[in-house]
Order: sequence, then structure tokens, then C-alpha cells
Amino acid sequence: MKKLSVFLAVMLAMALLSSACLAEAADPLGKYDEMITVHFVRDTDDTLDANYFSQHPDKTMTDNLWCDLYRDVLNINVEYDWIVKSGDEYDQKLNTAIAVGDIPEFVNVSTLQLKQLVEADAIMPLEEIYEKYASPFAKEIMESTGPSPFNAATIDGHLYGLPNVDSPLMIADLLWVRTDWLEKLGLPIPTTMDEVLATAEAFANADFDGNGVKDTLGIAIAKDLWGQLFSLRGFFNAFDAYPGIWVEDENGNLVYGSTLPGAKDALRTLNEMYKKGLIDPEFGVKDGGKVAEATTAGKCGLFYGAQWNSIYPLQSCVNLDKDAQWRAVSIVSATDKPLKAQTNVGTLSWTVVRKDVAHPEAVMKMFNLFIEKNWGPDNENGIYYAPLDSESIWKLSPVVPTNPHKNDGAFLDLEQYRKDGDESKVQGEALSILKKLQAFESGSEDGFALWGWERIYGAEGAYGVLIDYDAKGMTQDNLFVGAPTETMTSKMSTLTDLQDEVFTKIILGEEDVDAFDKFVSDFNTLGGADITREVNEWYATVK
Amino acid sequence: MHNTAKAPSLSRNGRLKRELPFHLMLLPGVIVVFIYMYIPLSGLIIAFQKFIPAKGLFGNQKWIGWDNFIYLYQLPGAISALRNTVIIAFFKMILHLIIPITVSILLNEIRSSAFRRTAQTLIYLPHFLSWIILGGILIDILSPNGGFVNRILGLFGVQPIFFLGSNDYFRFTLIATDVWKEFGFNTIVYLAAITNIDPNQYEAATIDGANRFQKMIYITLPNMRMIIVLMMVLSLGNVLNAGFDQVFNLYSKQVYSTGDILDTFIYRIGLIDAQFGVATAMGMFKSVISTLFISVSYYCAYRFADYRIF
Repeated sequence: MKKLSVFLAVMLAMALLSSACLAEAADPLGKYDEMITVHFVRDTDDTLDANYFSQHPDKTMTDNLWCDLYRDVLNINVEYDWIVKSGDEYDQKLNTAIAVGDIPEFVNVSTLQLKQLVEADAIMPLEEIYEKYASPFAKEIMESTGPSPFNAATIDGHLYGLPNVDSPLMIADLLWVRTDWLEKLGLPIPTTMDEVLATAEAFANADFDGNGVKDTLGIAIAKDLWGQLFSLRGFFNAFDAYPGIWVEDENGNLVYGSTLPGAKDALRTLNEMYKKGLIDPEFGVKDGGKVAEATTAGKCGLFYGAQWNSIYPLQSCVNLDKDAQWRAVSIVSATDKPLKAQTNVGTLSWTVVRKDVAHPEAVMKMFNLFIEKNWGPDNENGIYYAPLDSESIWKLSPVVPTNPHKNDGAFLDLEQYRKDGDESKVQGEALSILKKLQAFESGSEDGFALWGWERIYGAEGAYGVLIDYDAKGMTQDNLFVGAPTETMTSKMSTLTDLQDEVFTKIILGEEDVDAFDKFVSDFNTLGGADITREVNEWYATVK
Repeated sequence: MHNTAKAPSLSRNGRLKRELPFHLMLLPGVIVVFIYMYIPLSGLIIAFQKFIPAKGLFGNQKWIGWDNFIYLYQLPGAISALRNTVIIAFFKMILHLIIPITVSILLNEIRSSAFRRTAQTLIYLPHFLSWIILGGILIDILSPNGGFVNRILGLFGVQPIFFLGSNDYFRFTLIATDVWKEFGFNTIVYLAAITNIDPNQYEAATIDGANRFQKMIYITLPNMRMIIVLMMVLSLGNVLNAGFDQVFNLYSKQVYSTGDILDTFIYRIGLIDAQFGVATAMGMFKSVISTLFISVSYYCAYRFADYRIF
């Protein structure tokens, strides 16, 4: 008995001591004495398979560079309760998990899911952990686009999710166009909507592969309509409509950008394009990966999408056809109003922690390490972010807080280098990109696999266009950046489903373009009016 | 059991004693039904709540009366989902009766038993493929861009038809593929009924000079009457089940207006959009309508065909 109490006393002392240590030290990159296991869930995608796992068949989701790093540096062992193939599946599976209360320890969620988890009282506030454990450098990076990524996850004054920050600018749409086809047909790079339509029509009617069949598409669209690949956002922006984000009307009130009158004009134009055979009648059933088969096979030369599209899927197009050339150009306006490309809070996911987790700070340490390794002073970006032989390797980390200004910063550094040729000033990620550009310019076989990078960071690269948007004030931010409102949590996804369904039908001519007006009134009766009111109440508090 | 008046004059206790073992044998089944059928019914209260799952079924949920039902009524897809369900299920029910009966009678008339057995096996094979697999196959062979079916149609100068993406064809495709998948299996039931017919009846008819067609009409069909009515009454339970597996694997946004059925609608509202209250309200609505339909058709079967299960 005495032995036992001595043992207990010692244990107690040790426990007190270690907690005291934690309280004082709170080392942002402190290594745990004993290995701890953290359970995440995740999705994977085609780019990881195509760029990483195909080249490293012995690696798995839990045995790779990033998991090793977390184990070695922090003594954190990462495991996944489940892994699914796509973002869609991830949302479905996670929603079900939330519904049945089977919530993972650490999980990346949208703001809607975050709100549901808070309502369910299932996740813990993280503001103290953030204050205590975030390294100064991580704080600098995560706060560099202002407070909105944090506001969006703050409910009743508590921060419930750590933002996997990213650049708001990065998701603005560009117009990707096959310039070798333009040259063949003697067409200019489109600068007005009429020229875009003319280009689409010319592409659809041309027979580039000489098989005697008009089997090229005018413009490619994927079924999810607003993704970062084969999107319609840029097209709607041309008509002064901003699907999915909240913008100010002339009275200074927030309105939902999908319900603006310009959206009707955009739909009418798309339907006219469909009637002319410029749009794939099957687009409603094809996701981005499926549509990518058309660009790869040289059946499509025009679409709206994000800056990274040259790496995936366009790289496979040029791999097959060495004469193919693509270029990202500015989206165009169809009205006399100044053109604005829509952006959003760059952050797409927030990492939340289940209430009963013993080491919630582990995730903040992982954030610190991810940011430190990729953009820290040690210049290890070339190893951990996107090395020459294992593109997309950064996605192997379960948390991906990204330096929002890394890409435009790198592009500007490279622009400077192109002017003065001083390689010594190019550092960090810019340096690893410069090596890729040089490998491509060498004309070697391996270098050609980096064509996609040259299209983003080269002299006529996609990032140049994005930086131009920013410099000229040609962006439309999402003006609602708070946590989801009450009605939004329950009704918004049904409303966006309805919107996508109606828009798809109008484009395909299944419904008349006037169905848009019915959509707007349905939107309002089915909760949209309440959401708009709640959003404006929020807006009044921040204006 | 009907002539209770003449039942032996056992006392109430005596009868209970005699039948007790039977009641006990029934008990496990009743318990299972109670646990899996009746207890979950309590979940219907979700239909009247703003339901937050983590608070638990009997937790402190917010009661909102009929709001979920009103919301459903306003939701543009709900009415068309109901309409689609009824149309698709109705045609499936009818064709699932007519085609297997016809095929079984025709198969029965075939002399070569080797051919008959081969045909029987081949037509009921698709029954064992899941809709997940068939979905993938059908999307390919029905594709307007070089799909097998459209190539064949092309030989006859027909323009490619987008079977799975056109609102004119989607229901037809659903019904046709479902009948194709299941008719072979259903045929077996009727074939079994036909083999039970007394051969003497056919011999007598032959002597009377009946030809094969007349024998079919006057002997085979009337003898199958009971099994046909039984199958019909049993299938009535499916009047609002248009086949979730099939529709879910074949539909897309562009055919929601003709192909979305109650079950897929409930799935999307509940599991994708996480509106559990609304989804439960829809499920409850479906159950009430189904019960109504089944009661009426059961009564009709009794009234017009003098058939009853219990």
C-alpha cells in the first residue's frame, strides 16, 4: 500500500511537472517525449496519383516524406480513419459522419460543416492554442490576408477552426486558349466577348486533326460549373454576375451574386452557344477529370479555369501533341461595365479538433512545421513543396496552410530576374521554380514535363494575368466573410443545388431562359430571403 | 378457422395452454419486427424538428411544427419527384408482370429442353449484377458519342440519342433497363407455376382438337391466375419504390425533372444537404401515401379477384 502511494505521488509530481513545462515553454515546434498518434480523414485526387504515386509506387498516404517529417521532428504519427477519392465523396462521407456523431479527431471542414459541428457542441475552441503555440512566422503567414479567414471560423467570439490559408487571388478565373489553333485559323487572342464566342465557334467548326469530322468542342464545361477547372465563373463575371459570392448592390446591401440580372444574360448566351453545338450535350454528367479527356485528346481548345490548369490537365495534352500550345489570358467583359474577376476568401478548409482530443496543440505544431519547411528561412521548399520529380508532394500533409503571397511573390521575383538576370536574388520557392523553368528551356525530355510550370511562371505566364487583375483593381471579393448564418447552415446547399440544376437545364435548353426568374423567386422563398437578411445584419456590424 | 361456432368448447385457459408453444415460436419474429420496424418509427419526430444530430434523437431539439412539410411543398423538385416515382414504379410493375408471363409461356412451348434451359439461364444472369456495375456499363453502351446502341441505331440513319441525359428518354431507359435486368428472374416463378399444371388437362384438350394457341389461352393462363394475382399484390408494396440503386447510378442533374424519385430526393436532402428534418418529413409523407395505395389495391384485389393474403 505504501509502495502504491509513493508511486502515485511520483506520478502526480511528474504529471504536474510536465504540464508546468507545457504551460511555460509552449514550444511551437516542440517534440513530444512519447510518440502521439493523431487521426485525420482525407480525400485524394488525380493530381496526386498522376504526379506522385505513379512515380513512387512504394509510398502510401501514411508512409511518405511528410508523415516521416511529422514523426521525426514532432514525434507525431499521422493516421487516417478513412481516405476517399474525391472532394464530393469527402463531403458526403463527412456529412454522414457528422450526422451519426462519428467525428474524426482532427478534420478539415468547410465553414458550413464547422457551424454544424459547433451547434453539435462537438469541437473545441482553438484561440488559446493558436495564441500559445503558433510560431511568429506561422502567425505572420496566416494573418497576411487580413482577419477574414479567422472571422469565417469564429462563432460567439471563439475561433473553432485553424484556417488552411491560401491566396484569394489564386482562384480567379482565367481564359485558357490553344494558341496554336488561333494561329492556324489566323485569329487574335480574344479580348471581347464577341471574340470569345467567335473563337469558340471557329474551334468547333475546324477540323484540326483532319479526320473529316467536326468533333471539337467550342468551350468545355464540367458538371460542377463553378470549380477551378472548366468553370463558368469567368463567363458569368463577364456579364457582371458573381455566382456563389455576396456582392453589394447599388444601395450598398449585399446580394447573392448568382441572382443578379447579368446571370440571365450569361445563361442566354450559353444556351445560344449550346444550340450552335459549341457545348458538349453530355457536360451535365461529366466531372472535371472526364472533361479533361477532351482537352488531352485535342478535342477542345478553350475554357475558363484557374492558373494551375496547365500542370493538370493540360500537361497531358502537350505530352501527346508536342505542337500544342496553351496560354492563359485575361477574362473579357460582355458589358460596358468594368470587368471584375471574382475571388473569395482564399481559405477553402479549416482544421477543427474534436472536444475530447488529448493533444489539440499537435495540429498547431503541424501548421507551424508545414509553414516553416515550405516558406521558412531554410529554403527547403524545393524538397517539401513541389520537387522536380514529385509534383504535388505538399498535398501529402493533412494540413496545408499556404503562404497566400507565395505565388505572386515568386512570379514577381522571376520577373525581376528576367529583367536583370541576377540569380542570386532569387530564393526559396522562386528558386525552385526557376530551376524548373530552366529545365524546360533546356529542351530536354525531362524538362518538357515542366511545360505546365512555364505556362504559369514564364514571361507570358498565368500569374502575370492574375497580378494584373490585382494591380488594376479588377477583382470582386466575396463581401460576406463571416461564419455561416443560421439559415445558411441548413438551407444554402439545397439552394446551390437548385441553382446548378436550373442553370444546367437552361444551358441545355431543357428550360426556357425565363426559368431564371422563377429560380430567383424560388431562391427567396426557400430561405434565400432569410439568408440575405442575416448576411446584411452581419454586414452592418463590420461596415 | 372460419367456423369458430363449431369449435370445440375448450375453455379460454385450455385453448391458451394448447396454443402457447405456437405463440412462443412466433415470439422471436415479433420481437425482431418490433425492434427493427416499430422502434425506428419514433424517429419520425425528426420531421417536426430543426434537427441537430449531435443532440441526440430525444435531446433538446427545436420543435418547428409543420415547417419542414411546408418547405418541402415549396421545393420545386419535390412534386416532380413524387410524379416521377409514381410513373416509373407504375410502368415497372405492369411490365414486370406482363413480360415475364409472356416469356415463361413462350419458353414453355419450346420443345428442345437444352435450348430452353440455356435461354432461361442467360436471361436471368443480369439479375445478379449490381446496379453499380450495370450503371458503368450502361453509361458506356448508351453514350451518344460512339456508344454501342447508338452505333447500331446509326446504321439505320437514326441521330444519336442521349438516353441517360435527355428528359424525353430517361424514364423509358430506366424502365427498359430494369425490366431487362429482372424479367429473367421473374420468369422462373411463372415457369414453376406452369410445370405444376396437370398434364391431363392438355391431353384432354388435344383430344378435343385444341391447337397450341388455344391450349395456352384456355389452360395455361387460367391455371396461372392465382400466382399472377399473388405476384401483383406483393408488388403493390413497391408502388412508391421506383428503385433507388438504379436511378442513383444512372441519373444526373439534367434529368432530375423526369428521373428524380422520392428516394434519391430524400437521399440528397438528408445525406448531402444534411437537412434531416426535411428528409424525414419526405420519408414520412412517402410512407403515408404508400400505406394508402397498398390498402386500396389490397382491397381491390380482394374485391375483384377474390384474393387475400390474410
